[in-house]
Amino acid sequence: MRPASFEYHRATSLDHALELLHEFGEEGRPIAGGQSLVPMMNFRLARPGHLVDINRLPLGGIEIDGQVLRIGALTRHEAYFNDPLIARHFPAFLDAVHYIGHPTIRRNGSIGGSISHADPTAELPAVAVLHDADIVVRSVQGTRKIKAVEFFLSAYVTAIEPGEMVVALEFPLPPSASTGSFIEQSERSGDFGTASIGITLQFAGGKIGKAAMVCSGADLFPIRAPEIEEFLVGKALADPGAAEAGRIFAASIDPVDDHIASADYRRGLIAELTRRAIEAACTRALDKS
Amino acid sequence: MKAERPKFIGARIQRFEDTRLLSGTARYIDDIVLPNMLHLNFLRAETAHATILDIDTSALADLDFPTWVFTGKDTAGLSMKAHQDVPEMQYSEQPFLAEGKVRFVGEPVAVILAEDPYKAEDAAELVFVDYDPLPVVGTMEQARDPEMPPLFDGWKGNVIVERQMKGGDLAAARAAAAHIITRTYRTQRQAGVPMEGRGVVAHYNPADRVLTVWSSTQMPHLVRTYISEELGLPESRIRVVAPDVGGGFGVKGQVYADEILIAWLAMKTGRPVKWIEDRREHLIASIHARDHEHTLEAYVSADGRLLGLKADITVDNGAYSTYPFTSAGEPGMVGKVLPGPYDFQAYEATFRAVATNKCAIGTYRGVARPSAVFSQERLMDDIAAELGIDPFEFRLKNIIRQFPYKNVLGFTYDEGSYAQSLEQMRELLAEDIAEAEVSKSSATRRVGVGIACFIEQTAHGTPDFTRRRTPIETGYIAARVDMSPDGEITIDLGLQSHGQGLETTMAQVAADALGMKPENVYVRHGDTMTTPYSVGTWGSRGGALGGGAVHIAATRIADKLRTIAAHLLQSKPDQIDLVDGRAQVRDNPGSFIEIKKIARIAQRNVEQMPDGMTPGLEAHASCDGPRDGTYANAVHAAVVEIDILTGKTKLRRFVVIEDCGTMLNPLVVDGQVRGGVVQGIGSAMLEHFIYDSECQPLTTNFADYLMPLAPEIPNIEVHHIETPTPLTPLGAKGLGEGGAIGPAAAIANAVGNALGTGVAETPLNTNAVWKLSQHIRETA
Amino acid sequence: MIDITLEVNGASKTLSVEPRRLLADVLRHEFGMSGVHIGCAHGACGCCTVHLDGTPRLSCLTFAVQCDGASIRTVESLGGSEADHVLQQAFKSEHGLQCGYCTPGFLMTLAPFVEEMVAQKRMPEEGEIREAMSGNICRCTGYQGIVAAVRKAVTVGLDAGAA
Ligand SMILES: Cc1cc2nc3c(=O)[nH]c(=O)nc-3n(C[C@H](O)[C@H](O)[C@H](O)COP(=O)(O)OP(=O)(O)OC[C@H]3O[C@@H](n4cnc5c(N)ncnc54)[C@H](O)[C@@H]3O)c2cc1C
Ligand code: FES
Ligand code: FES
Repeated sequence: MRPASFEYHRATSLDHALELLHEFGEEGRPIAGGQSLVPMMNFRLARPGHLVDINRLPLGGIEIDGQVLRIGALTRHEAYFNDPLIARHFPAFLDAVHYIGHPTIRRNGSIGGSISHADPTAELPAVAVLHDADIVVRSVQGTRKIKAVEFFLSAYVTAIEPGEMVVALEFPLPPSASTGSFIEQSERSGDFGTASIGITLQFAGGKIGKAAMVCSGADLFPIRAPEIEEFLVGKALADPGAAEAGRIFAASIDPVDDHIASADYRRGLIAELTRRAIEAACTRALDKS
Repeated sequence: MKAERPKFIGARIQRFEDTRLLSGTARYIDDIVLPNMLHLNFLRAETAHATILDIDTSALADLDFPTWVFTGKDTAGLSMKAHQDVPEMQYSEQPFLAEGKVRFVGEPVAVILAEDPYKAEDAAELVFVDYDPLPVVGTMEQARDPEMPPLFDGWKGNVIVERQMKGGDLAAARAAAAHIITRTYRTQRQAGVPMEGRGVVAHYNPADRVLTVWSSTQMPHLVRTYISEELGLPESRIRVVAPDVGGGFGVKGQVYADEILIAWLAMKTGRPVKWIEDRREHLIASIHARDHEHTLEAYVSADGRLLGLKADITVDNGAYSTYPFTSAGEPGMVGKVLPGPYDFQAYEATFRAVATNKCAIGTYRGVARPSAVFSQERLMDDIAAELGIDPFEFRLKNIIRQFPYKNVLGFTYDEGSYAQSLEQMRELLAEDIAEAEVSKSSATRRVGVGIACFIEQTAHGTPDFTRRRTPIETGYIAARVDMSPDGEITIDLGLQSHGQGLETTMAQVAADALGMKPENVYVRHGDTMTTPYSVGTWGSRGGALGGGAVHIAATRIADKLRTIAAHLLQSKPDQIDLVDGRAQVRDNPGSFIEIKKIARIAQRNVEQMPDGMTPGLEAHASCDGPRDGTYANAVHAAVVEIDILTGKTKLRRFVVIEDCGTMLNPLVVDGQVRGGVVQGIGSAMLEHFIYDSECQPLTTNFADYLMPLAPEIPNIEVHHIETPTPLTPLGAKGLGEGGAIGPAAAIANAVGNALGTGVAETPLNTNAVWKLSQHIRETA
Repeated sequence: MIDITLEVNGASKTLSVEPRRLLADVLRHEFGMSGVHIGCAHGACGCCTVHLDGTPRLSCLTFAVQCDGASIRTVESLGGSEADHVLQQAFKSEHGLQCGYCTPGFLMTLAPFVEEMVAQKRMPEEGEIREAMSGNICRCTGYQGIVAAVRKAVTVGLDAGAA
């Protein structure tokens, strides 16, 4: 259980990294925290010919840039715990981070790595999809922004092309009368979730305005729940019909049936987590209003 | 001779081995590095059942580094032979490297050696095996289907062995029964997973014909014997060393083909050979455990007395038989222990092992008992529920209270504290029981309390092994104790310590016998060159029998010290006490001689010894287990809180009341119990080694094979009752495995109690509990 | 092969390594730090935890080449051959280890946690302690002795601070 041979390149600047990735194409891979890539390499399930180490690039940081919160690709998971911007604007995000792995993993794993790795039930991909984040991808050709909902194509498959890398995620800042929540269930704490639900709500006058919902565990990548988002509009915060929303959503999905969980269980669990996430978000909204 | 009151036995002494283990200076198998060493990589079967058509190694020639490759053709005839010598058993061998066929995913097909482990792995990727798949025998049902092709030539079907045990008049019990309760219980397949995997380093020196094998094993002497028998070398020229061993739990308590194969390769290549198991290999190919199905039928009188029990037991053994306990061991053990702590007079068990295309079942902490106790204790709750009796009441009604007790199979139980521990547990749980009762009205959150009451036959003696007719023929443990001229003591122990703290507990035993301090005692173990022949550390025998052997040997030295002291002090040996480093006259403590000084006299100033006495302070002793072993007992209790809507089960409380007789060191006892319990919690709730229908393993890493992590685990409350046994020298019973035996049953009973339903199988993961609570969600 | 310089437990060494060599292997074989244990080689057990520039890092998920110029601490540096670091002593008194294989990883994960708690002048909750060690698997102890050891070490630290 040791990796196959590869060549190692330490990127000294973003342009350098992009040049290297351009040069190596399919054979080249960025390495960030290594918390997902190196296990795969040790099992020899991943065998990149060239690793481009981006860890010494100045790609970290959480900052407001106009109407978005910009999170640099190398921002480590633990950074969110004490970040006032996350706490203020993105409660669902903050909830979600608590479910990621263990302290050492969180200290080293990065958001760019997490979304590029695209584990089907990883938290940050779900968070990106929930908040309609733009994924800022660069290559020697330039920059493109990919909507999170279009970024995740399947389990471990994303819209990143060879030669490209993620440099940041941009989260549109929500209006102040908004909140959210994220709930996950896994077999043990720190495991990838069996299923999770994230909710964001805008509210006014005791009622839900716009809502968004994401679900991991229903498909091979995090999916939005447009019918529930629709359903929630106009519902009273005190009585949002959360259980019904859970039932409607669960009936609409077709989760996998495998050795980790049966499809029935996933469906039942998702219904319940939907209810809880909606209720938690509404409670927060009521507290806030 | 009056024994001195123990001073160190029973004391909470911090472990001596800890400094080494904490400072990073311990030496585990991977720390064994020899000059010129080759690193071995196994090429393992990727198909569960197939004929090998061809192994193509030609690509290795193109590599720019040297490699060595061996296949089953090279090792033809070398095999593990683990057979129970009874007519019902179908014979099979496990070739060191597959010959002609592979029978499970992970079976070694070839070995590739190179001068660097990374390169050995590179090279192994270039060897191609052409397989012709055969039908897979994947389940117990398929294995019992006579239409399925047998795994081995010459076999009739895939039932490896099927036997019976009985006692009393079952027909009469059945006829007298007011209630007949029949249930089927299953315990899942799992892996053992010590944090250090296995590994072997071998070196052969042709000049003096000495073979040295380092192996992360619990049984170095048995490895030596098997190497000798298989490779034809004299045992005197084989040295097997178990260095520091990073956990064993029984997984390292078998002799593996690779241990002998690697020795053979070292001889063959003329270079030291090293293999360090990786996690995937460990999970798919070391040994697995459990995978039982038991159908039990209980005959119960109208007033709730258990009259008889009929059992049908099947173990899915996987493909091969492990050495020395064999594939007959696991089902046989269930048949033997199912009567448990209850008093009834009619019993019949039919038990079988069946062969499937999976990794072999071997011994893992508790061996068959976690499964047996799961079934036994689930059944007790199921009967109690059927009869409408409180589970404690029902057990207390049927519990054995008179000792020694001869059970329905003729085994004699020494004294225990069965009823007392049940009563005590009931008190400890009173509040939880009340809360569980109240929670019954909730459709969303339920609390449940469950117990498991069990006995554990420990420190089995030679007669028990002889009866088994398997290659494990004896059960004694030996120790050699030596006091050097400076008064310091060395114990060469036939046991191997891989976490049990034997370097401390054995020192405590010797110190008491010799009137010295544990600090004066150095315990060496695990090396066949220095330690006397013994079967190794497994089967909960370390404290009881190892401690016994050390006690006997040390007492012999103490006797000699007394004789010399009496001679020098003009007293009588039986008037001499050995205390605090002195040999002193009992009624005149002012008259003494330092033990150190006697040690010097006995070896350097021998002219001062009594006439005719042989110099030296050395003794070798062995201690065998009693005929039927000695029976430890325990009650485990679990309190769970279940989120009915998600299946999430929180283990709120886990309580143990245990009786392992004399405790050598309570610190170590608590550690053994807690560690065992947490492994048992893993078995109960998380750990599941899963194969798909083609017998492809699905849980081959730690993201899929889930073991307990700290956040899910509560503090384990441990209470002790000490009923010393007259059957071992120190009154100690075995304790290493007990912790792992009860949790599956206790937790399943707690879940059943919470949900008001029977629980038929483990693991009780979130999905399983969610499924079991279906009826509550539906009626809500 | 790439030339790198590592400072391991205070001693610097420049060596030439293949990029694919795991830091764990390089520490074990090139620096003789056999206290770095490999329990899974896929990031899921914590046995291989070392400090990279002061913070815990899994050395099985790190390539040695990535660490050029870095300062690394392994368990060997914690309390020397006498294991006299406060946390090591607490492991001993609270029976926080049995076979010892997981132990270096736990120590390297938890020593900074203990320091942090002492710096914050507070005794962590049981749940916090368990979360702090959630990436480490111990198969022997059932964790309880380790939790107790952390508490003990924090107590010693707090007492020393108070004195
Ligand atoms: C035991 C364990 C438990 C874990 N539990 C969880 C969990 O519960 N939830 C969870 O979400 N994660 C979990 N993880 C994964 C962890 O969060 C990873 O850190 C994360 O998934 C990947 O981040 P990384 O920086 O380590 O990426 P790396 O491992 O370095 O890279 C991952 C992939 O992304 C690519 N990549 C990295 N950076 C970029 C970039 N900027 N642009 C393009 N491609 C890039 C790499 O080439 C690689 O393919 C766990 C990991 C372990 C070992
Ligand atoms: S060996 Fe690194 S985490 Fe297991
Ligand atoms: S002490 Fe053995 S694994 Fe932790």
